[in-house]
Amino acid sequence: MTDFLSLWADSLPQLLAATVKVTVPLSIIAFVLALVVAVLATAMRLSRIRPLQWLSRFYVWLFRGTPILVQLFIIFYGLPAAGITLSAWTSAIIAFTLNTGAYAAETLRASVQSIPRGQLEAARTLNYTGWQTVRHVIAPQALRIALPPLGNDLIDLVKGTSLVMVITLADVFQVGRQIAATTFQPLALYAEVAVVYLAIFTVLSFLQSRLERVSNRYIRSSRA
Amino acid sequence: MLELNDVSKSFGGTPVLKQVSLQLRGGETTVVLGPSGSGKSTLLRTMNLLEVPESGCLSINGDSVTFGATLTRKQVAAIRRRSAMVFQGYNLFPHETVLENVAMPPVLNGKADRATARARATELLGKVGMDHRLQEYPDNLSGGQQQRVAIARALAVEPDYLLFDEPTSALDPELEAEVIKVMVDLARERRSLVVVTHNIGFARRVADRIVFLADGGIGFDGTPEGFFASDNERIRRYLNVFDAV
Repeated sequence: MTDFLSLWADSLPQLLAATVKVTVPLSIIAFVLALVVAVLATAMRLSRIRPLQWLSRFYVWLFRGTPILVQLFIIFYGLPAAGITLSAWTSAIIAFTLNTGAYAAETLRASVQSIPRGQLEAARTLNYTGWQTVRHVIAPQALRIALPPLGNDLIDLVKGTSLVMVITLADVFQVGRQIAATTFQPLALYAEVAVVYLAIFTVLSFLQSRLERVSNRYIRSSRA
Repeated sequence: MLELNDVSKSFGGTPVLKQVSLQLRGGETTVVLGPSGSGKSTLLRTMNLLEVPESGCLSINGDSVTFGATLTRKQVAAIRRRSAMVFQGYNLFPHETVLENVAMPPVLNGKADRATARARATELLGKVGMDHRLQEYPDNLSGGQQQRVAIARALAVEPDYLLFDEPTSALDPELEAEVIKVMVDLARERRSLVVVTHNIGFARRVADRIVFLADGGIGFDGTPEGFFASDNERIRRYLNVFDAV
């Protein structure tokens, strides 16, 4: 037991370093970019211009329909054959952004479409412009509805970043693997890695419930 | 003056309005009656361009549009400015407080700054008896209270015509009464109201004019006295349904 604890204590700094250097920044950068992509894809999907709708549907189809692992391989190992060589970091950011963006786009589209028709009619009868309707009627309500599923998308993203070791990035999982290999203590190390992910998850789900409480303040049933 | 000329509208090939023409003078309360599916709501929604007919034209106090060709945003905005709609389902913005619901529209329309709009909104909410719940969210209000806020919101954009689309159909009788009272007050002020309703009592007591729609056309257009005394078979059949209740 003492061995176990001292092993954890010895390896924890390295695991935390990898978490802070790779897992967390990759997750944050990819999620922020994914939200931008998702907003664009949703706007295109809900626009009246057919080619934009098709492009958006194609994007979502492509990135939801293929495994993130395959996407990472194509971008990092496949594209150089087509003359496009990207660093591991750039490849990871692109893959996770586009993958999460596709899921988030579906989340946003469903949220926008769940806003009652009467809300849009009220905006029209009050002579709101298109942009005012989006800004003051659609976006605030869609975001409230989208918050829980977007939280899921973020949590999936964080856990999914454990795959970056296949394209040579040293995230918390990869560093854990290396230590496990040199100490011959796979159970201890992988359990420790799991605890690190759980810690991140706990912080995220706490933040999510705070955010949801704020965004649900005007809904009566949520107070019960 | 609100004027509809030869307005026709169909949904999926089924004609709902057949060459309807109608002139509504300002300062009057017009109640639109008619059996379900007679096109009452469609007629009302046309006045605010929530429905766009296939043909005919609409003019309100000097702004006019001809249906059939594509309408420009400018044309639509000019017509919409002339009226405001009160919906059966209230359609208040749930994420805004009572005060914001009423104060925001004039601000976004560029008609008032925030401070002026808030003062005016508070005044209008006082008029409908809702100035004691300014910071409340709509979800915490009864249906009758929400509808009174919705009326204040419609007044806030200073429309020439106030359009009511079955404003009390979703309400219990006691809540209905508080909304009707507000509408009666507005009628007494000689505002221009167009009311689609099943509330025959309101039509009888408050209307200056009754328009009865049947089968997509105007079956009667005249005073309440004339309407309730009519021996027209379709009108009698319509009124008998209410007597039976």
